[in-house]
Amino acid sequence: MSIVSVQPRRKSRRDWTPALLLSPAFLVLIFVVLVPLLFSLYTSFTNYRLIRPDSLYEWIGLRNYQRIFTDSKFWAAFGRTIIFLTLALNLEFIFGLGIALLINKITWGQRTLRTIMMFPMMFSPILVGYQFKFIFNDNIGLLNNALQSLGIGDGAIAWLVDKPLGMFTIIFAEVWMSTSVFAILLLAGLFAMPRDPLEAAKVDGCNSWQVFRHITLPFLMPFAFIAMTIRSLDVARAYDIVDVMTGGGPANRTELLWTMIARVGYDNSRMGQANAMAYVSILLSIAFTYYFFTKLIAARKYMGGAE
Amino acid sequence: MKLTSMKALVSGVALSVFAFGSTSAQEFDYGSFEGYTLRVKLIGGAQYEPLYAVISRWEEMTGASVNILSRKNHFELDREIKQDIAAGTLNWCVGSNHTSFAPQYGGIYMDLNEVIGDDVLAGFQSLALANSTVDGRLVQLPRHSDVSNLFYLKSLFEDADNQTAFKAEYGYDLTPPETWDQFKDMAIFFADAPTFYGTQYVGKDEAITGRFYEMLVANGGALFDADWNPTFNSAAGVESVQWFKDLYDAKAVPAGVLNYLWDDTGLGFASGTIAMNLDWAGWASFFNDPENSQIAGNIGLVRAPVGSGGLRSGWAGSHTFSITETCDNSAAAASFITFLTSAENQMIEARNGLLPTRGRVWDDVIAEFDAAGNEFMVNVFETYAVSMAEDAFTPPLIAPWIEVSNEIWPRLQAAILGEMGIQEALDEAADAARLVMEDAGYL
Repeated sequence: MSIVSVQPRRKSRRDWTPALLLSPAFLVLIFVVLVPLLFSLYTSFTNYRLIRPDSLYEWIGLRNYQRIFTDSKFWAAFGRTIIFLTLALNLEFIFGLGIALLINKITWGQRTLRTIMMFPMMFSPILVGYQFKFIFNDNIGLLNNALQSLGIGDGAIAWLVDKPLGMFTIIFAEVWMSTSVFAILLLAGLFAMPRDPLEAAKVDGCNSWQVFRHITLPFLMPFAFIAMTIRSLDVARAYDIVDVMTGGGPANRTELLWTMIARVGYDNSRMGQANAMAYVSILLSIAFTYYFFTKLIAARKYMGGAE
Repeated sequence: MKLTSMKALVSGVALSVFAFGSTSAQEFDYGSFEGYTLRVKLIGGAQYEPLYAVISRWEEMTGASVNILSRKNHFELDREIKQDIAAGTLNWCVGSNHTSFAPQYGGIYMDLNEVIGDDVLAGFQSLALANSTVDGRLVQLPRHSDVSNLFYLKSLFEDADNQTAFKAEYGYDLTPPETWDQFKDMAIFFADAPTFYGTQYVGKDEAITGRFYEMLVANGGALFDADWNPTFNSAAGVESVQWFKDLYDAKAVPAGVLNYLWDDTGLGFASGTIAMNLDWAGWASFFNDPENSQIAGNIGLVRAPVGSGGLRSGWAGSHTFSITETCDNSAAAASFITFLTSAENQMIEARNGLLPTRGRVWDDVIAEFDAAGNEFMVNVFETYAVSMAEDAFTPPLIAPWIEVSNEIWPRLQAAILGEMGIQEALDEAADAARLVMEDAGYL
């Protein structure tokens, strides 16, 4: 009898132990992630204005979402953000891969080069924005002056204003600053790569391109998709560089989701509407993250790794 | 400390200043706040920082210390203040403010009439104080004011060949422009893109809304009617936007002008590649400094042009200081902002071309430049004194002003670039502005 009566208590205590051990993590997640998310979701159904704290309780139902769904400028910014993401991530991947392959070949001074490669990431995005704003200034900027001095350009090119060039300049700045994220992760992949398949391929008569295409690249793809997942979340929130360089203009030509959301939320103080926009824009991040994770799992399967 | 005694303290302090005229701050009693730490959020930037060097003097005089929590540009500071309002963390006392921004903050700033004596306030220009008043409450103490006039390269206008060619082409004499139409003619005449331009303008944010607004008024239009219905999509509005567009299409302004803000236009003019530049006086000493500027010694200045409505443009405002309602020591805060805006300290900024808000400082700084033989700066202050007295007007001092502006400027850009017709752009902006005004309860 005594054994029977004691056993359930011991079992119960053991059952609680994992939960107790995990509870600090859960509490942190609840208060740092879940509560703010729920709060901002709630505000998206209100007329919440930053400068009127009492407006937090003005429930307006789906009005913010209705405005967004009928706002062509929002959807234009949404589409522009997808283009921005796609171009920036692909360019960063291509340049990062090239840099990683080149640095991997170096036998002397590799550490120094790796450190130098990280320099752009060490700058604040605001500083990078100002740097490129000055470089691309049409009248007193470095680039146009250089082009004119070399006799290449016959006019001042409005880098930050022209329709395709405006997007090009902000993608250029973003790529300049963050390509090293790809490079460093892909370099780590190259360092971890086993030598046996490469040597076996060479013995079997594969040329360099075939080795790269069929062995090196598939092995690196899981690293690339991890980098893309991280960077897609980062780029989807692009704000500082764009705000400094073009402010989303002119005439909304470079307006991305977050420059628009920041203007609505802070300059116009309509935080409820901005949060509704943010929730719609999260769909974009979820879609990209889901896509890259699917590709990551497929790449790992291809390499015989775990799912 | 009771409000009345605080008021007495600050007014007593000020009385001694005005009684003795040139009394320096060291001889001046700003009160004693031994051991108190005043928490402040100030506007940062090269043109605002020199004043902050004197804060240590106020600390020595009062025994208090100043903790500068933020030193950011006004747009970033605006966001931070809004976050403080939302989070209920207005645990600081003094904040930089601006006449364009102040109305949106509601009641977070105290009425300075309660803590600063009438005799102190009497030293300020009445227009500057009127512009600092929101809903009958003086929520800001003006630090320096801002209005634009037209700087130009003298050599271009003195050149005999230019004079002959201009007269032949336009049928009137080449003298600094008196009207906006003449300004446009001359800008197109002088332009030689891509190495030289007739003029330039700030092309985004509230900056271009402000330029549009002042031209709209000069052309006889108005942003709103008496009932707050948007009216800027009028013939005067179209005429105003046409001016920007004509210059853009004629390549009389740099191609990237729609991305320009104040630093871009100031540095552009100083680079010697721009014939005429409508700008505030804060750049004056920089323009005429051979160390920084290619055009030093070659600068003329006239008042802003007259529009078709017979008025001069005169978009104006003031950088100011405010005290929060939640401040735990408003006497110290009042002492601090009175010190920063004292005649002696306004002279520090005036020497760089920033326009003082105390009448006496205008006379003092002109006398100082005159004694030093600096005719250029004497001309700057004399010209701006007339504009401040006769031409200056603020944007509507209403809470949704920035929001309305954010609806206007992207459409102005679209019209200038030709993506929309001018009337279509203004109509769309007016509809959007109407929605903002409805949401804000004005309509």
